[in-house]
Amino acid sequence: MSTQKLPTRKLTIIAQDPSVEDNGKILRAEVEIPAEELAPGPWGYRVHIVDFDSSTGTLYQPLEYPPLHGADGGDPFKRASDARLLSDPNFHAQNAYAIIMRILARFEFALGRRVSWGFYGHQIKVAPHAFAEANAFYSESDQALMFGYFPGESRMVYCCLSHDIVAHETTHALLDGLRERYTDPSSPEQAAFHEGFADIVALLSVFALPKIVETIIDLNTPRRKEKQIATKLLTIDKLRESMLMGLAKEMGQELSCVRGNVLRRSVELKPSTTYIHDEQYEEPHRRGEILVAAVMNTFLSVWVERLGGLGEVAHGYLDRGRVVEEGAAIADYLLTMMIRALDYAPPVNLEFCDFLSAVLTSDQEINPNDRYKFREKLKKSFSSYGIEPAAAADKKSGLWIRVTGNISNERIHFESLQRDPDEVFRFIWDNRDEDRLNLYGEAYSRVLSVRPCLRIGPDGFALRETVAEYMQIIDLQASELPRLVDDIPEDMPKTREIRLTGGGTLIFDEYGKLKFHINNSLGDRKRQSQRINFLWRYGFFDNPSAFRNFARLHRERATQLEAYTTEAW
Amino acid sequence: MTLRSYQVGFGDCFLLSFHYNGKTGDRHVLIDFGSTGQKKGMGENLMLRVAQDIKKQCNGKLHAVVATHRHKDHISGFATNKKKTASGDIIASCNPDVVLQPWTEHPKAKVDATQAPGLTDKQSFVAALGNMHAISEAVLIEAERRKSVLGPTLFRELSFIGEDNLSNLSAVQNLMHMGSKNVYLNFGSKSGLEKVLPGVKTKVLGPPTLKQSKEIRVQRSKDEDEFWMFQAMANQFAIRTNANPFRQAKTYSALSQPPFTRWFIKRMRSVRGEQLLGIVRALDKVMNNTSLILLFEVNQTRMLFPGDAQIENWSYALSKPAIKKLLAKVNVYKVGHHGSRNATPKSLWSGFENRLSKKGKKGDLKTFVSTMSGKHGKASSHTEVPRQTLVDALQSDSEYYTTQELKVKNKNKTINGCRYEGTLCIACEIKF
Repeated sequence: MSTQKLPTRKLTIIAQDPSVEDNGKILRAEVEIPAEELAPGPWGYRVHIVDFDSSTGTLYQPLEYPPLHGADGGDPFKRASDARLLSDPNFHAQNAYAIIMRILARFEFALGRRVSWGFYGHQIKVAPHAFAEANAFYSESDQALMFGYFPGESRMVYCCLSHDIVAHETTHALLDGLRERYTDPSSPEQAAFHEGFADIVALLSVFALPKIVETIIDLNTPRRKEKQIATKLLTIDKLRESMLMGLAKEMGQELSCVRGNVLRRSVELKPSTTYIHDEQYEEPHRRGEILVAAVMNTFLSVWVERLGGLGEVAHGYLDRGRVVEEGAAIADYLLTMMIRALDYAPPVNLEFCDFLSAVLTSDQEINPNDRYKFREKLKKSFSSYGIEPAAAADKKSGLWIRVTGNISNERIHFESLQRDPDEVFRFIWDNRDEDRLNLYGEAYSRVLSVRPCLRIGPDGFALRETVAEYMQIIDLQASELPRLVDDIPEDMPKTREIRLTGGGTLIFDEYGKLKFHINNSLGDRKRQSQRINFLWRYGFFDNPSAFRNFARLHRERATQLEAYTTEAW
Repeated sequence: MTLRSYQVGFGDCFLLSFHYNGKTGDRHVLIDFGSTGQKKGMGENLMLRVAQDIKKQCNGKLHAVVATHRHKDHISGFATNKKKTASGDIIASCNPDVVLQPWTEHPKAKVDATQAPGLTDKQSFVAALGNMHAISEAVLIEAERRKSVLGPTLFRELSFIGEDNLSNLSAVQNLMHMGSKNVYLNFGSKSGLEKVLPGVKTKVLGPPTLKQSKEIRVQRSKDEDEFWMFQAMANQFAIRTNANPFRQAKTYSALSQPPFTRWFIKRMRSVRGEQLLGIVRALDKVMNNTSLILLFEVNQTRMLFPGDAQIENWSYALSKPAIKKLLAKVNVYKVGHHGSRNATPKSLWSGFENRLSKKGKKGDLKTFVSTMSGKHGKASSHTEVPRQTLVDALQSDSEYYTTQELKVKNKNKTINGCRYEGTLCIACEIKF
C-alpha cells in the first residue's frame, strides 16, 4: 500500500516561549507547515538555518532529518523532554524553522501566491544563536534573520524560542519583500507601520494557537480547567484583564528587553482619539503601538460578540472548548485579513488611514457578507483610536472607490498583463492623463511588481486578481518645490536637492479590467507638505540609509532611547 | 573672571576663576579634568603638567571641583596612585571645599546586588549605569580578541568609546574624598556653591531626576534597566573562555566549516562588530545624559557649563519657559559634548540673544569647545565630532575658542588667548 503524500507536515514548537507553562511543563504546540524533505539545517526550500554563534565563534552541527513518512512523521522532537527542548540547539533550529515556515505559509495562503523575501534569493538564512545579546532582527543585506541569546535570571534566554519574536522578525522580511518602499523615510506612520504590523502578525499568530487562548482564559479564571466558563468572565474588559494578568505576565519577562513588552502596552493602551495627535506618539515605535492596540481591541470585541451567539450550556455558563475555539479562529481570520490588506495598500508613503481602507476593501472583495461583523468592529475600533479611513475612500463605508471611467485596455495583452512589468507599464503609460490614472508628467516612473493571485472566498468561489505597483520619483531643488509642495520649511537651503515620491497600486480583475487604483499621488500637495516638513524637522534627509537598519531600531525600542529629534545638528 | 580651557586632547578641563576685591581674593572652580586621547606633539605626562599648572594658577587652593559625569574624558585626571604622585593627587592637595557631582553618583543610590528585587527606580537606574561599565569592559576584551575580523576602523572606534566608559575607580574614590563636602545635584537643587562663591548665582539645570523626566516623557519603564543588566550578563558570558551555551552539542572545527556556511559566517562576524558598536554608543549616550548642567550668573554675565549633556538631559530644562528665558541671556557657553551633533539643542542655540548675528544687537557671546577631531564618528554619517555644521554656526555667531587650535608656538600665527609652557600651548586663557 502506498502512503498518501500529504501537502503539510507537523512539527513540534514551543507555543509561546519556555516561560509559558501548563501544569509545570512547557506549553507546546504542533504546527502544520508545508511538507518537504529537509536537508540538515533544517534547510528547506525557503529557509536555511545556519547555527553559527558570532560571539563565541561556534558553528553547531545540524540534525539529519528523518524522512517525512517515517514513524514520527518527520518530527524528531515529538516526544522529547522539556530539558532536551531547552538544551538541544537542534531543537532551537527546528523551532525557528517551523515558526518561520508557518508565517510564510500564512502569508501565501492570505495572498494566494508565492511570497518572496525582501532580498534577491529564495532561502532566508537564519542564525538561531547569532550572538550573546538581547536583540533579534532581520537584516536585508545579510539576507538573514538573527536571534540573540543572553543569560537570564535563572536560565539562558533564547530569542529563537519565543514564538512572537520569531514571527515578528519573519514579518519584517516578508513585508520588505511585498512593499520594498515601506522602509523609506516618509511619514511617521510609515516608519511605525513596519514595527506595528510585525507586532500584529506576531500576536495574532500566537493567539491563533488554541492552547494559548486556553492559557489566557485559565490564568485569570477562578474555576480553572473546568468544562464550563462563566459568561460574566467573558466581557471585553475581563478578557483584556486576563490577557494582561495572564499572558502578558507569563510571557518571558526577560524577553521584554528585546521586544519591549508589546502585548502589555497594546492592551493597556485604552481607546482614545488623543494619541494620534500627541507629539510623543510621533516617535515610530510609540505610534506603532496605536495600530497594534486598535487591532487587538478588534480581536476582543469580535470575540465577545461571537460568544454572544453561542448557546449557554448551563445558566450563565458557556462551553470552555467552544470559547477557546472561537478565540483562536478569530485571531486566525484577523491575521489573514491583515495580511491580505497589504495588496490593497499604496506602495509608498503609507499612513494608517490607508491601511484601514485597504483592510476593509480587501475583505469586502472576498467576504462581502461579513456575517461576523469583522469590518464593522474593525472600523469602530480604529475610529476609537483616532484612525479613520483614508480621505480618498468612500466616506460612508471607508472602502476604496472602484475605478470608473474611460480606462483603456485597447493595446494591452491580457495574458502579459498578469505577469509582465513592461506590459503593465504600457497600460499605465497609455492611461497616464489627468482624467484617468493622473500620473505626474515630469517624474520618472517605474513598475515595482506585478503579481497574479488566486484567493478562495468563504463562499467557495475563486477570486482571481492581478496586483501591480508602480512608483514615481522626482528630484527637485528646494527652490522648485512650490510646484508640488505648499508649505516649505523656512530653513531649508534653496539649492538643497529633495526627492519626492508617489505611486499607486493597481488591482485588475479576472478579465484584466482595472478594479482599483489605490494611489498616493506625487501630486498630493497636502501629503507632500506634511511629509517634507516631518522629514526635514527630524533630519532624515541627512542620513536616509540609517532608517533601514532594524538592528538599531530594535535596540532603540528596548532601551527607549529617543531615536529622532528635531534638536540635532 | 578668567576662564582657562586646558589642552587635554579629547576631554574637558576648565578652570574658572572669580576675582573678588579685598579679603575674599580669588576663588577657583575646576570643571572636569579628563582625557581619552592625545595627539602626538602634546608632550609627555600631559595630565600631570596640567594638574601642576592648575595648582599654580589657583595658588594651591581650589574652592570647588565639578565632575559633570563619570566618563573618562571628564574625570581621568582625578585618578590617583599609591605613591600619591598622580595628577589626581595634585588636585586633591588643593583641598577643594566642595565637590559637585550629579545625583546619579550619590553613594546611597548605589546598591551592591544589582539583581536584588524591589530596587527603587533610582537604584535600578544607577545599577544600570554600573552595568554599563561591565559591558564596556567585556566589549573591549571581545574586540581585542576579534581585532582581525573587525577591521581597523571599527576596532578603533570600539576601543575609543569602550574605554571612555570603563569605570575609573581611583578617580571616583578621589572625588568622593578630596573635598570637605560633597554635593549631589539634580535640576533645581541648590548648588552648594553659595558660600564659596559669594555673589555668584549658580543654577543647576540638569540632570533631571527620574521623577522630573517622567513629567515630560512617556513613562520610563524598568525594562530599560533590565536591558542593561541582561546585556552586561550576555557580554560577560561571551568573553568567558570556552563560552558555549550547549556543552553537549556537536560543533564543527574552524577548518571543517562546510563551504555553504562560509559567506554567511563572514557576514555574521561583521554584524557582530556593528552590534558591539551600537551597544557602546547607546550606553555612552545614557552616561552623557547624567551630566551636570550649571549656569553661573555674576554681574550680568551668564556662563553655561553643560558637560556632555545631550538632548534628553536638556529637554527637561528646556521645557520650562522661565529657564529658557534665563538661558537666552548666556554670554559664555562651554559647548556641550566636544561639539557633537546631539549636545547643543538647536532651540537652545537659536534662543541665545547674544549671538553676533542677532539682528539689531551687538552680541558678545563667547563659546569654548574642548575637542579633537578624527576621534569620534564620521562625516559621511553626520556623526563627526566636532560636527561641522555646528562649528560653522559657532564660528559665525560667536567669539569662538577651541582647544583644537592650541598647538606648538609658531611665530607666524598667534592664537588668541594661548598660554605657552615652553613651546607647547597648555591652555587658552580668556579674561572677561
